[in-house]
Amino acid sequence: MKTGKVVRILAVALGIALVTTMASAQAINSGAQTIALNATLTESLTLSLTANAVNFTLAAGSAANAGSTSITATTAWVLKPGRTAVGVYAYFASAAAALTDGAGDNIPSSAFFIADNAQPSTALTASVPFGGALAGLQLGGANTAITGANRNSNRTDVMAFNINLTGGTLPQLPAALYTGTLNIQAQATP
Amino acid sequence: MSLQTKFGRLAAVLVLAVTALAGRSHAQVLNSGASTITLQAVLNDSLSVTLSGNAVNFNLTAGSANNPGSVAITATTTWISKAGRNLSLYAFFANSATALTDGAGDNIPSADFQISDNAGPFNALTNTVPFGGANAGLTLFTQKITGTSKTGSTTDVMNFNINLSTLPNLPANTYTGTLTIQAQII
Repeated sequence: MKTGKVVRILAVALGIALVTTMASAQAINSGAQTIALNATLTESLTLSLTANAVNFTLAAGSAANAGSTSITATTAWVLKPGRTAVGVYAYFASAAAALTDGAGDNIPSSAFFIADNAQPSTALTASVPFGGALAGLQLGGANTAITGANRNSNRTDVMAFNINLTGGTLPQLPAALYTGTLNIQAQATP
Repeated sequence: MSLQTKFGRLAAVLVLAVTALAGRSHAQVLNSGASTITLQAVLNDSLSVTLSGNAVNFNLTAGSANNPGSVAITATTTWISKAGRNLSLYAFFANSATALTDGAGDNIPSADFQISDNAGPFNALTNTVPFGGANAGLTLFTQKITGTSKTGSTTDVMNFNINLSTLPNLPANTYTGTLTIQAQII
């Protein structure tokens, strides 16, 4: 009887101790304070060239009048979801007067050739998104397809230039200084 | 002793007795029983966090490890507690995979979100803390509450950074998220 009483007292004491310990261990939490985060990754498409001038020493009637230097176009992009393609284009404002002496004598874009990344030379005779009709060329011949793996990426196009003076009346092109502006531009679509 | 003398003494005794009785009856106080009032004053444990701001903007550069937040935010933690407990301050996201999201399936995980606390090194939110998602948190500090720090206040100046070096193909977009700061005493 006495032993049972002692056991009961001990049990009660243990219970009180346990409750006290539990109460002490109970965590106190502050209110949750929030910070709104807003991060913007801006869409971009840039194109840079290693140089901005090419000279040609022309030989009358010659098919091979190479430019003085190759130029590398580096196209870099950070694109939004939904973009599926990047194209790089070379073009003149006018197909008929890619280069001109300013006196009515012109070298058409069809006589101006670009070899992209050591591929065969191709004349600028296509209509592209920029420039004059039939005055352009898509470098590489096709778009770069954009996937989840290259939404932030770049491409390089090493362009070697040539003027072919064999076509049409070009063999009779008078001696003069012919100047023109070739544009290189990229486009992401859609 | 003459009758007159006896009478005089008796009169004097009577006067004295009456005077004494009258005086005592005036001086006697009357006390009630003592009623007690039990006093109980409770100083509750308390813990609060306040922030100096509630918004941070980031101008991201694709693939860059350094994309700092537009502003530092100071968290002030104030407490009243018992000695012997631990006070901790946590930063966390609800989900480690989608700390910030463009809502179109492109996410910045908490592993790429970093906090520098009080000019210390930047640390990513990759731990599991008492609040938020698994592997989505960071303990800013833990300190033992002692007899001399049962009440107190401390500040944590948080600088933020988003590291995109592991997310080189994150598409251009606006990414939003909610970072939560919360303290606990246990």
